[in-house]
Amino acid sequence: MDVQVAVEARDVRKRFGSVTALDGLTLTVSRGEIYGLLGPNGSGKTTFIRTLAGLLRPDGGDVHIFGALPRAAVSSGAVGYMTQAAALYGELSVDENLRFFAALEGVTDVGAHVEDALRRVDLLDRRRSTVSTLSSGMRTRVSLAATLLHQPRLLLLDEPTVGVDPALRREFWEHFRSLAASGVTILVSSHVMDEASRCDRLGLIRAGRLLAEGTARELVARAGTSDLESAFLALSAAPA
Amino acid sequence: MSLHRAGAVARRIVLQFRRDRRSLALLFVAPMVVLTLVGVLWGSAATNTVRVVAAGDVDPQVLEALRGTEIQLSALDRDAALEELRAGHADAMIEIADNAATVTVEGSDPTRTAAIVGQVEGALIHLILDVPLTAFVKVSYLYGGPDYSLLDYLAPVLIAVFAFFFIFLLSTVSFLRERTSGTLERLLATPLTRGELVAGYMGGFALFALLQALVILAFTVFVLKVQYRGNLATIFIVEAVLVIGAVSLGLAISAFARNELQAVQFVPLVLLPQVFLSGFLVPVDQLSDVLRAISAVLPLTYANEALRSVMVKGYALTDPLILRDIGILAAFALLMAVAAVLSIRREVA
Ligand SMILES: Nc1ncnc2c1ncn2[C@@H]1O[C@H](COP(=O)(O)OP(=O)(O)O)[C@@H](O)[C@H]1O
Ligand SMILES: [Mg+2]
Repeated sequence: MDVQVAVEARDVRKRFGSVTALDGLTLTVSRGEIYGLLGPNGSGKTTFIRTLAGLLRPDGGDVHIFGALPRAAVSSGAVGYMTQAAALYGELSVDENLRFFAALEGVTDVGAHVEDALRRVDLLDRRRSTVSTLSSGMRTRVSLAATLLHQPRLLLLDEPTVGVDPALRREFWEHFRSLAASGVTILVSSHVMDEASRCDRLGLIRAGRLLAEGTARELVARAGTSDLESAFLALSAAPA
Repeated sequence: MSLHRAGAVARRIVLQFRRDRRSLALLFVAPMVVLTLVGVLWGSAATNTVRVVAAGDVDPQVLEALRGTEIQLSALDRDAALEELRAGHADAMIEIADNAATVTVEGSDPTRTAAIVGQVEGALIHLILDVPLTAFVKVSYLYGGPDYSLLDYLAPVLIAVFAFFFIFLLSTVSFLRERTSGTLERLLATPLTRGELVAGYMGGFALFALLQALVILAFTVFVLKVQYRGNLATIFIVEAVLVIGAVSLGLAISAFARNELQAVQFVPLVLLPQVFLSGFLVPVDQLSDVLRAISAVLPLTYANEALRSVMVKGYALTDPLILRDIGILAAFALLMAVAAVLSIRREVA
């Protein structure tokens, strides 16, 4: 197994009853790369990320994370999964939520790590607040902090900036950049095109298939369009 | 199985619960309120005074003889007597003609009817034989006693029902919330295993369940002054095993509900058969074969049997019957815990 490969998915298939969510998805994410999974609603982004997080077993094909099966990678603490909607305990404080997730991840020196994660999402002053009293943007930040606590080598971020204001979105991306610079691999899904241009590499998916892959510049060039959005539309229209 | 992770889940449950005043009240105050009501209703040893009206001409001597400590007799004409009976001011009407006594009762409540007829018959026999009834019938008690009230008999079962009901309800709803709020999915994307999750839930809830069991027990024994024989620790152990089973049943059942309303709909489904078939209202050996077969798979049946044996009859923890019941309850808890673990698998691989 190539040590430079963080995520390797080959011909992954997943059906829910009559709905085909993943239809032979094949893609590779290198270490330290920010890979953007781009596709409209219902294209299978969340399903693919859940498969990587060890929550869904594919019907066909195989998935490896750092050469291991997803569940094994998750169990070893290599993966951090930020769900599409913040999954936190509203009755508990920010601090209590983070301490809980830190304990599950087997983090040692919990206090320091919680503080560090809170500083990174700029919420240190709200650590005693009850989560249900926070704004949705703040909750998203707590959710990100909870994903960073155990310093995973692979971050799975499912539409992390939906409902996040532009200033915070910029902060998030600066943050993702610095994590990637320190060697963390990031797989981030989005259906917002301007955001996609910040990724190292993009995979366009539709109906559970990879339509095209490459840097934003490459995709625009391949489609012969002026921007990513039209490139996406053009590539979607072409027979896959 | 990492105790560290299961412990983290248990701690979190305790934290959440401590903030949840309503659930705490449900757990600790509600049983006391209901038990107090029940205590007022059933607490006094039964007073069996029967109010009898004699219709028409009754020999004043008979009248005098029938009037005893347990029978209040008054004489009226027949229509007035019937009216008294209808209005519920009298329990029975007695007519004496040609040396035969006719007793008319209101008759809608069979239990009450039997008690009234028994009393009146007893008094009449006493009158005919002209000997005090107590001279030839002496009642002695193997268990219980003359001052034993219905509450004393029902308390063991009530303790079990409350403990089971409230803990089942809370664990169902809170695990359902975990499933529907997306946090379950988030938890399963950490090193936490399904077994650790269920163990953590059981640990966290068991703490409150046992506290509740202690509170209910203390309240019944020290405030309601329910009479009991056996060892309090034995009673507590039986309750403890029962409530742990209630937690795991709740976790497993929550898999079948999509929202909290549906979860609450499971409560009567789980609770009513147990109230009717566990020996609470009808002794298990009086049930038909089919019903008895159902009762044999209900945890409350065994809890009731054990608690009654300990509290009313004074059985010890080491008694084979008690050990068997505790074993069955423990097996139920374990089975439901496994079902809970498997139910998590149903949605997530
Ligand atoms: N648990 C599920 N049960 C049934 N259908 C599902 C489930 N999860 C996803 N789907 C279906 O699979 C398709 C892909 O969904 P999803 O992966 O959530 O897309 P995206 O995240 O790109 O919006 C959709 O048609 C969705 O309805
Ligand atoms: Mg999605």
